[in-house]
Amino acid sequence: MENLDDLIDFKTGRQKRLIYSDADIYEQEMEKIFGRSWLFLAHECQLEKPGDFIRTFMGEDEVLVVRQKDNSLKAFLNTCTHRGNRLCKADHGNSKTFVCNYHGWSFSFNGDLTGVPLEEAAYQNKLDKSKFGMVEVAQIASYKGLIFATFDESAPSLEDYLGEMKWYLDVWLDAMPEGTELIGTAMKVELPVNWKLAVENVSGDGYHLGWAHAGAMTVTAESDVAGLSVGNSEVDNASAVSVAGLNGHTVLAALDGKSGYAFYNEHQMAWDYLDKNRATAVERLGEFRGEKMWGSQLNFTVFPNLQFLPGLNWFRIYHPKGPGKFEMWTWAMVDKEMSDELKQVILNNVSRTFGPAGMFDNDDGDNLQAATEQSQGWRTRQMDIYTNMAIGGEHSREEMPGVVSDGLVCEQNQRYVYRRWLEMMKADSWEDIPFYNSLKEAQATEGK
Amino acid sequence: MNLIPAKSDIYLDLQQHLFQEARILSAERYDEWLSTILSDDIYYRMDMPQRRFKEDKSGQRAPAKTPIFNDDLASLKVRIGRYNTGFVWAENPMNASRHIISNVEVFETDKKDQFKVYSIVELHRSRLNADRKRFTVGREDTWVKSEQGYRLLERLMTLDDSVVLDSNMNFFL
Repeated sequence: MENLDDLIDFKTGRQKRLIYSDADIYEQEMEKIFGRSWLFLAHECQLEKPGDFIRTFMGEDEVLVVRQKDNSLKAFLNTCTHRGNRLCKADHGNSKTFVCNYHGWSFSFNGDLTGVPLEEAAYQNKLDKSKFGMVEVAQIASYKGLIFATFDESAPSLEDYLGEMKWYLDVWLDAMPEGTELIGTAMKVELPVNWKLAVENVSGDGYHLGWAHAGAMTVTAESDVAGLSVGNSEVDNASAVSVAGLNGHTVLAALDGKSGYAFYNEHQMAWDYLDKNRATAVERLGEFRGEKMWGSQLNFTVFPNLQFLPGLNWFRIYHPKGPGKFEMWTWAMVDKEMSDELKQVILNNVSRTFGPAGMFDNDDGDNLQAATEQSQGWRTRQMDIYTNMAIGGEHSREEMPGVVSDGLVCEQNQRYVYRRWLEMMKADSWEDIPFYNSLKEAQATEGK
Repeated sequence: MNLIPAKSDIYLDLQQHLFQEARILSAERYDEWLSTILSDDIYYRMDMPQRRFKEDKSGQRAPAKTPIFNDDLASLKVRIGRYNTGFVWAENPMNASRHIISNVEVFETDKKDQFKVYSIVELHRSRLNADRKRFTVGREDTWVKSEQGYRLLERLMTLDDSVVLDSNMNFFL
């Protein structure tokens, strides 16, 4: 293994390219990051009744998330405890038992091993079934509808893991009394890309929008997002913020209260919804978040692999599949209060902009694939690349937590994502991983 | 529904239209697709499959499918407008595409001038350094005979893959 400090330099925004291609580094990510972080599993709305299940991934491990009889949630490794076959092949559904196709072992939806064929004739009734139940994750918890789990018993609580990021997440999760839901089925795409390149792109890269997405912007932009323009000729960085220093979580936020719906050909219905409910949002979130953030273009990143954009309304998780591959799953996200008509407009727009044939998403794949491939050569993997835009612009603001820089076109957030990556990669235990939620705390941990 | 196969001259005519359309789409001549193939009332939809147990009865509570395409003429024009900007860098240099059409079946419908056309399209794309990608979909079309000849009124498709295996779908099927 390389000296980890040689891979990332926070102060200069440097990354060594082999972090996008090296198999050993990837293996360490599985252990130190995906093996220990709280990872998103599902939205509560997707598991309504006892027996409802979703099949998903934590890192490369397949898990089943199952609603229990007492309405609690459990998550199990989707593997038979006998000879290791996959237990459930369906994406989602409702089942009270999971039966292995190999030898017929059956498990109750609470995880107990309940049936073993030929238990008497072949096992002479000597099998202690209580020792062979489905294997659960170490911790599972929800935050306002979003279900997360971790494989690490020593991980801090989900509340603490999210920290001050909750203040931002609430702009979507808690603006309306009835809460939120994901609608439609997951749109799944496999990309030959290192997972970090996708995460850094959405966490902080407003720079690529006017260039990489120039074609999509030309035909969809009906109104302004922080002055971003086709061809990257102009931007209004005073009207928006990049926020980091939130334990690896990041936020991009326009502060106009409506630009989330800029890339809609049918945005009026959404704007009417915002007008109608603005007072409620202000009441629940306060003046600043209710007026300036709710309805704005927002990019939320929950470290390491969950990202969602209220306004554009897509919600996405990345499942790594090796150093040069991941699968991304995208849903449309809405407020429950929205009319069915508006939900349909949003579902269509998510599909048209960020689905598998989405006009924006289809601009990113080749760029990220090429950046991955260009980190695989003997020479290129030794090279450095930089997210060094606007270094030194970090400041704090009274009205919001975290470390703030001006504008959506700013690479502050990527630097903090990579810093968190390095902190977790280096740490032997959670006690060695620093926690900070403000500029002061972030600076205090410098050099640790 | 009792399906009555269309007469062979209609079959040949519509099959010819499918082949012609395939050639237009492979060549990315999208304005020609709009002006010579599509009806003004076109509905163009593609879904992704979900892996679900056959015996699972919770389907009615399952979420509505998120379509990959769910387009009318106006939104197809937006998609095509994007290609026409010249700013879609992934398509320059041009990728090689072959739309292969097979299993064509043509049936009459209740309406004298409308025909149900089933087909399978297999798209081969050769891209980038050595990337060869393949998509297959089953299509259920409704073609209408108008004064300008046959026009595509409705196309309903389901992609065979539950995970899309290419980094973009900058094409039509």
